[in-house]
Amino acid sequence: MSAARVAVVQFPGVNCEAESVRALERAGLAAEVFRWTRPARELEAFDAYVLPGGFSYQDRVRAGVLAAKDPLVEVLAARAAAGRPVLGICNGAQVLVEAGLVPGGGEVRLALARNRMPARDGYYTRWVTCRVERSPCAFTRHLEPGALLPMPVAHGEGRFVSGRRGAMAKLAAAGQVPLRYARPDGDPAESFPDNPNGAEEAAAGVCDARGTVLALMPHPERVLDLGAIARTTGGEWGRRQREALARGDATALADAPGVGLFAGLAAHLEDA
Amino acid sequence: MSAPAAKAVAHAWVALKAEDPEAASAGAVARANLAAAKGLRSLRRYRVFELRGALPDPAEIEDLLHRSTRFYNPSKETCRVRLDDAAPSPVGPGEAVALVVERGGDRRPAAERWWRHEAGGRIEVREGTAWVMGFEPGADAGALAAELATARDRAHGLFCNPHAQEVDVVTGPPPLDHWPGARRKRAPGRRAS
Repeated sequence: MSAARVAVVQFPGVNCEAESVRALERAGLAAEVFRWTRPARELEAFDAYVLPGGFSYQDRVRAGVLAAKDPLVEVLAARAAAGRPVLGICNGAQVLVEAGLVPGGGEVRLALARNRMPARDGYYTRWVTCRVERSPCAFTRHLEPGALLPMPVAHGEGRFVSGRRGAMAKLAAAGQVPLRYARPDGDPAESFPDNPNGAEEAAAGVCDARGTVLALMPHPERVLDLGAIARTTGGEWGRRQREALARGDATALADAPGVGLFAGLAAHLEDA
Repeated sequence: MSAPAAKAVAHAWVALKAEDPEAASAGAVARANLAAAKGLRSLRRYRVFELRGALPDPAEIEDLLHRSTRFYNPSKETCRVRLDDAAPSPVGPGEAVALVVERGGDRRPAAERWWRHEAGGRIEVREGTAWVMGFEPGADAGALAAELATARDRAHGLFCNPHAQEVDVVTGPPPLDHWPGARRKRAPGRRAS
């Protein structure tokens, strides 16, 4: 049986397409970069889609919003409505939110607003801990709820927020916040720097009700190998990394937490 | 330095000297994909600062803004200061303006500290983005600008995500006592939406 095909959709300014392809291939999927210059209808030949990180249209007007108006996204919306999985990472998440694909329904229901950080402003990059929550999300549902995943964030506009009071809490209660920023002890991170941008409900990712479209601010495609994890990482993943390094495995190419999300996509596609 | 005036408000409109790539992209995407932008003839972007407090005379305000790195870069940008609603404006006749600010994030404390250090007075500094839109003759510029201002879905709105930003749409320049999201007395008769 041939591997499922995944399009890594690249708008001008996107710069994480190569590592996204590698991450998908690591999970046994057939991935290719799909540039914005191709006819939109060719997207229909793929089984799933990843919108990688970067700076689509140089973040002009507002991160993700110009790409969200692109005809390619209309095709993605139709495919998503048909149940095809879509993962937006960082800038890709901003596109999905501005396009109304997350949390779903087509209406713009959230923002990924400018980071809110004490005594600083702008772009911020840091290793964070994400906690897996109970969720129908196709990318995380095979992961143990409560599991802690170290991943890097790198963004200036990553604060999940709704203008409607209580809306983010309702999404969390419905399982549409599959990953939350956590403190090292695993509790949700309500404050900086464990919550790196001030996101409501400490949301690191938000999915649609069906769980097949996920907008995720951290970068799982940058954490494919144990050796890629920050040396300061604690917990289970830090222990695994230290053990690998102690064995003399300097590159520590064993699977790291980012692989799990792409493996979840592969499992979902196999089940479908 | 002249004595600070009584409480006052000034708006400083900052624009790139070169063609603005952000406005070019926004205009192209809007015209291609949003029905309300089919008749959009021109689109310009300005960074707008609201200065509120005990302000010196206009020439000194302009000098302070020019000297500081907190407001604009005179090598590549121009700045026009408006101290009353009758002052010349970068907004042309019949044009509409969507003034967008980050909700709860429009204050500029570093600029306020700089001002206090240089001018000795305490003022509040806020920053927003003005999108100045010109439409085909006969079009209802206010209504079309309002339609383009607030992002509702993929086919409607662009400049403001209402979940994180505030926007006011006016025809002509925004009155000085007019700032999105601010609970202040509004100047009457200018607001389009």
